[in-house]
Amino acid sequence: MTSVARALRHVARLALWLAAAGLILMTVFITAQVVARYIFNDSLVWSEPAAVILMGWFIFLGAAVGIREGYHLSFDVLLYFLPKKAKLWLYSISDLVVVGFGAGMLWFGSQLALSAWDVKLPSLGISGAYDFLPIVGGGVLVILFSLERLARRAAGLPTARFGETDPLED
Amino acid sequence: MEVWVLFGTFVFLLLIGTPVAFCLGVASFATVLYIGLPPVVVFQQLNSGVSVFALMAIPFFIFAGELMVRGDIARRLVALAGAMVGHMRGGLGQVNITASVLFGGISGSAAADATAIGGLMIPQMREKGYSVEYGVNVTVVSSIIALMLPPSHNMIIYSISAGGRLSIADLFTAGIIPGLLLAASLMVTAWFVARKAGYPTESFPGWAMLGAIFFNAIPGILLIVIIFGGVRSGIFTASESSCIAAVYALLVTTLAYRTMNWASFVEATKAAVRTTAMVLLVIGCAASFGWLLAFLRIPAELVELMKAVSNNPIIILLMINLVLLMLGTFMDMSPLIVITTPIFLPVATAFGVDPVHFGVILVLNLGIGLCTPPVGTVLFVGCAVGRISVWDAIRTIWPFYGAAVFTLLLVTYIPSLSLWLPSLFR
Amino acid sequence: AACETTLKSSDTHPDGYPTVEAVKHMGKLLEERTDGRLCIEVFHSAQLGQEKDTIEQTKFGVIDLNRVSMGPFNNLVEETKVVSLPYVFKGVDHMHRVMDGPIGEEILKAFEPHGYVGLAFYDGGSRSFYNKVKPIKSIEDLEGMKIRVMQSDIFVDMMSALGANATPLPYGEVYSAIQTGVIDGAENNWPSFESSGHYEVAGHYTLDEHLIVPEVLVMSKASWDKLSAEDQAAVRQAARDSVPFMREMWAAREKASEEKVRAAGVEVVTEIDKEPFMAAMDSVYEKHVTSDKLKDLVARIRATD
Ligand code: NA
Ligand code: NA
Repeated sequence: MTSVARALRHVARLALWLAAAGLILMTVFITAQVVARYIFNDSLVWSEPAAVILMGWFIFLGAAVGIREGYHLSFDVLLYFLPKKAKLWLYSISDLVVVGFGAGMLWFGSQLALSAWDVKLPSLGISGAYDFLPIVGGGVLVILFSLERLARRAAGLPTARFGETDPLED
Repeated sequence: MEVWVLFGTFVFLLLIGTPVAFCLGVASFATVLYIGLPPVVVFQQLNSGVSVFALMAIPFFIFAGELMVRGDIARRLVALAGAMVGHMRGGLGQVNITASVLFGGISGSAAADATAIGGLMIPQMREKGYSVEYGVNVTVVSSIIALMLPPSHNMIIYSISAGGRLSIADLFTAGIIPGLLLAASLMVTAWFVARKAGYPTESFPGWAMLGAIFFNAIPGILLIVIIFGGVRSGIFTASESSCIAAVYALLVTTLAYRTMNWASFVEATKAAVRTTAMVLLVIGCAASFGWLLAFLRIPAELVELMKAVSNNPIIILLMINLVLLMLGTFMDMSPLIVITTPIFLPVATAFGVDPVHFGVILVLNLGIGLCTPPVGTVLFVGCAVGRISVWDAIRTIWPFYGAAVFTLLLVTYIPSLSLWLPSLFR
Repeated sequence: AACETTLKSSDTHPDGYPTVEAVKHMGKLLEERTDGRLCIEVFHSAQLGQEKDTIEQTKFGVIDLNRVSMGPFNNLVEETKVVSLPYVFKGVDHMHRVMDGPIGEEILKAFEPHGYVGLAFYDGGSRSFYNKVKPIKSIEDLEGMKIRVMQSDIFVDMMSALGANATPLPYGEVYSAIQTGVIDGAENNWPSFESSGHYEVAGHYTLDEHLIVPEVLVMSKASWDKLSAEDQAAVRQAARDSVPFMREMWAAREKASEEKVRAAGVEVVTEIDKEPFMAAMDSVYEKHVTSDKLKDLVARIRATD
């Protein structure tokens, strides 16, 4: 289990790095657009759609990592009053439901990507499938990291939750 | 029945601690399966909900906020606030609110404001003998100011949700007086609460020192000028201004202050990605949820219901405010703007409310919702920074809620508070 | 409420807009003619999403009917590209004659292999330039102007060919972008020029009518196949019968918008020599009319009186 957790930590780290790179690239694109338009009186028609696709990538990658690191907003008030054991069961239901949603992202995201395969995106000239690949990739990671949470809980290892600042030890 | 599946699943998942984004997404997924619609629509809406150019203001402003916190811009603004108002009754409470005005003018995010100013002020306040609850309360409620003062990406989201007819520059300008009014009423409240608790004041540092501190804070304050001036003079659009804010913050912290190194830059970027991903996933899932609301004709029924109750604009606005406050307690701001604008704006305009004025009401109202449980992002952030429980914070927060709601009522019923300033620029 | 089947239809325009009313009208006809077997419920104001979204939803059968502009179909159904070409029609009447005839029929048929049934064309008016700087009286006046265009390769290339600086911006940002001077102007038809409020900030309108693009009502192939042959015929006929109703409403709407805009003091340039504009389009046609099918369609449109 610990070796799997370690491998997944690397996956999460890579995903977060890619996401961060996406944010920086987005900043570069929009700045370039402002500079080109205002200083050179020449608009970059690709900067907006390209930045939007990048945003999709970094949101879905970042959101998947958030499952592992536990930084998603949740509402734990009711759970304060429950015994620890019941709480863990409810957390597991939660994680299972999220696995289901991740599967939906993967499966139906792929359907959307396939149906947009031969549509060409204006200004970028690439396939419309690129619009939906972030959701497919995000879906895979959502499934992986949620399954990891379930496995960790079964093995008695800690899982991170919103508001807990201590990092996972693995 | 479909409606019950949608809301039932949502509430159940919320109660068992599922992340809010997934509560919205899974409830939509379950409902679509129940109705027998092709489920692709849920994931299509999730995708297009986040693929909106104007939403880019969120990552950029959050990124800018992170850079400002880690690169010392925020601390210098807090120091300036301290020198200006620290000698008033409730000293550090007043400083906290004033810092929100200064910082709020350059960041559009209440969460960034609460993190930045709470992180700097709450430990200081604790040290000086203020209760931590007081520090958290002031931090949390005053961070709404950041939503009202330009730039505010929530105003951009509102403009988009309103069908894109509204001038973002007008919306930005309209928030200024209500934002300052909120600051003033919070300062009065802080004064009373501090007097009752017997909190100390700081000594005035003297004009020379104030000047020096001001000089130190100039690059931060200049950002306000650059953002506002840049948008007003047509160098960039309002949503592009968020990107310029991030670039400017990076330039100031690396070139002028020399406080930003590679490691803190990486940390700032990662932190921005984390917060943005969290917020935008909620927005995306709310888009699916909102699509189902529309498909099931819930907004239309709500409007009919409200029209049946009254046709007096004062009552209608009061009702809208109450519904929004209620919704705001259990949902986050941006998705609520996206969901409720198409529902309530037509009602409000039908009763003669100016759309710009309504935007200010909406943002202030939902801003209050950010500070209320169960889903109050800013409240969570404040509690996390102060390391107290949500329960501890809300036991003593009432006077500040009161001040915010009082401001909301003033802003609701005196349209010129919002509309006078933009009319000067036209 | 007594309808056996209610077809759900999407429109991005607000309630009361000619296209929205036309589909409602079609629903009324359909309900009468099928004795309540079929009704239509219109979701206006983009409640179910923007056109790109609802087009996908139609394909997957989430919704049944959809009123959309041709633009989003350009990269999917090749034949739709032809009506999105600048100056391809001589005027609105010419467009009506083309689309009501065999060419229109052919384009409607072209949707079918892609999962849609083309039912009818509605008017989208003619798009012309507006800006806040100066009246555009000749092609030279456009030189270097920053004009907002939709994200579409043809439109971007058209602007470049006219010497302007094509600036793609989200529609929602156009008003303040013109107001503050981020861009100099944009282009649209009378009703949109008016309803977007852009006329408040852009005081010069030039009726060059560079684009006369009809809009289209499509049905989901998946929903279509569930109907009996009799109901299919009823749907097609009702759609066809909603067209004159729509055109009448459109004309009235266009006139009302024009009056409002003129009353606001917008300077309208009506006399303009279109020849140089059309001549500049050669490069655009060369780049975008590549297949024999498109070349043939363009030739036949030009040959239509
Ligand atoms: Na702000
Ligand atoms: Na809340």
